[in-house]
Amino acid sequence: MTSPGKKLSPAPIIFGSNEWAEEVERFAPSASARLRAESARREIEAGGVRLAWRPCEAEGSHGTRLPGCRKLYVPLGQEGASAAPYGLVFQLAKADRGLIWSFIAFGERHPDNPSTRTVYERAHKRLHGRYP
Amino acid sequence: MATAVKKLDLEIGELIEVAGRRYEAVPDREGGLILEPAITPVSELYAERGWEPASEEDFRRLTADDEPADGEG
Repeated sequence: MTSPGKKLSPAPIIFGSNEWAEEVERFAPSASARLRAESARREIEAGGVRLAWRPCEAEGSHGTRLPGCRKLYVPLGQEGASAAPYGLVFQLAKADRGLIWSFIAFGERHPDNPSTRTVYERAHKRLHGRYP
Repeated sequence: MATAVKKLDLEIGELIEVAGRRYEAVPDREGGLILEPAITPVSELYAERGWEPASEEDFRRLTADDEPADGEG
């Protein structure tokens, strides 16, 4: 158990193979989205790059509920939706080795195609089993 | 020769597997039903691995230095 007020050590980032297959390998090998995700993962796993984490919304404006989750925009180090059109979402989880950031979703932040699910909707689906 | 059509009578939440890939029947935005590549819930994945979501308290502590929320999602 953690003592109140004590700051925790950083948790490792884990890309589960099932989640990676469903989120990233759904795209063709040469698709821009997949190449961007693969590049971001390589940068994250190599370390040494400052990651601009932001918390997800526990109660999002479009019905998504992502408590306990944080996100990175892709390409890493970019911010605006045109410069960083994709997002990676992670959930803090307890594994046998301690706390981890578990990768749960990848996708477009603001898809042009209205039938395309946003990365937040995909994350909601993975957390709650259904779309908002 | 006409192509034979395989008809599926699916309900929301049902899964099918095609060439080793799973697809789920989900509602579309117009009230219909479409097939999408399946998204396995964390409850199922974590149960296999012995993981569970962390507490809100741990989340708050580990994200204390994050950038502010941007209201996007």
